[in-house]
Amino acid sequence: MAYITNTLIMPVTGERIEPASDLELARAAAAGDSVAFEKLYEQHHRRVYSLCLRMLGNGSQAEDLTQEVFLQVYKKIGSFRGDSAFTTWLHRLTVNQVLMHFRRRGVKLEHTSEEGDFTNVVETPLQSTRRISMVDKLALEKAISQLPPGYRTVFVLHDVEGYEHGEISDLLEVTIGTSKSQLHKARMRLRELLTKR
Amino acid sequence: MVCRQCQELISEYIDGALELGEQVNIERHLADCEPCRAVRDDLLQIVHFSNQLPLRAPSTSLWPRIRSGVEELRPGFWGRPLRWWSNVTTLRFNLTVPQMIAGAAALVIIVSIGAIVSRRDNGPIELSAGNSRVPPSEITPLSRTDLQQLEKQINQLSETVEQRKNSWDPELRIAFERNLYYIDQSLVECRHQLDGNPADDVSQELMLNAYREKVRLLEGFEKF
Repeated sequence: MAYITNTLIMPVTGERIEPASDLELARAAAAGDSVAFEKLYEQHHRRVYSLCLRMLGNGSQAEDLTQEVFLQVYKKIGSFRGDSAFTTWLHRLTVNQVLMHFRRRGVKLEHTSEEGDFTNVVETPLQSTRRISMVDKLALEKAISQLPPGYRTVFVLHDVEGYEHGEISDLLEVTIGTSKSQLHKARMRLRELLTKR
Repeated sequence: MVCRQCQELISEYIDGALELGEQVNIERHLADCEPCRAVRDDLLQIVHFSNQLPLRAPSTSLWPRIRSGVEELRPGFWGRPLRWWSNVTTLRFNLTVPQMIAGAAALVIIVSIGAIVSRRDNGPIELSAGNSRVPPSEITPLSRTDLQQLEKQINQLSETVEQRKNSWDPELRIAFERNLYYIDQSLVECRHQLDGNPADDVSQELMLNAYREKVRLLEGFEKF
């Protein structure tokens, strides 16, 4: 047992010992414990990578960003006091890294002409027959990756990660109305992409 | 309400974010409009499944990249993982009095990491039967006699403790087992390190300290 990853059961008594908490691991990592840092990576890298992947829509960039996130974790782990859950702290760190990445690349998250209003939102009887029969998760992931960055960011934060519009508004420095509008357009675009399959 | 108005508000409708009046208007429209119902149902599916997307894993090459990135920031960070120390420090305890007594014994091991005591008087030792393939000449000389004495002492104490254990209350028994388990894990870790590097005098010292701590633990519980 190099590190206790799951509940440990004592050999004789059968007593269960809970695994190390994120806070304990974070403190150990901040104190220079490389194994604790590795453990934090093991426990959270898929979540960080998945968030990056969905916000960026590109696996290679998502890996680069995941690497940046964990280097930031290493640099900032000493500042994590446990006031919030580690997952919340890490999640916010990840979102900020992705947004910084967008800004560095000049990706506009606000309303652009490319992401303008749909002109054919209203269903015609013909369109109504092209229903989404059952959302295939792989197809949904692919469709999300095809969204314009602005739509995708709001959609991932709201519908995938569960952020409220107020939080998205703060993060992206847009109005709540813009966040709601982007979300609606993202959903409608997804519907369009999924019915084209 | 016409379809365009309905569909502009449909997202907020399914999120439950509309005022009651708007909600009623939409529901009236939906009752009579199949295309708008289709949009609503599709969006509901998208929202529902988006919330359940599985986690994805990056390639296995990512961790080595992160490791080397950290190494650049802090050279030597990966030099010597303090595995058994981490085992102890990162476990969650609900300590009671007997557990604290036993815990104190285990903590001595942690403290002893820094104390690399030099006891090299009687030639090299074989640290365990499992390490018998290690040539004695490659092991930093530690006291073979001391170690043999410790093992003998441990065997005697273990016999006594085993006899007394049946009369312990469950809490005390758990505390003992837990601490014994940590110490044995420390020994396993040390042996593992020594398998990779038989001349690792730090691991040898840690191992010796773990043996001594095992003696102290058994002596402490022998009295209960």
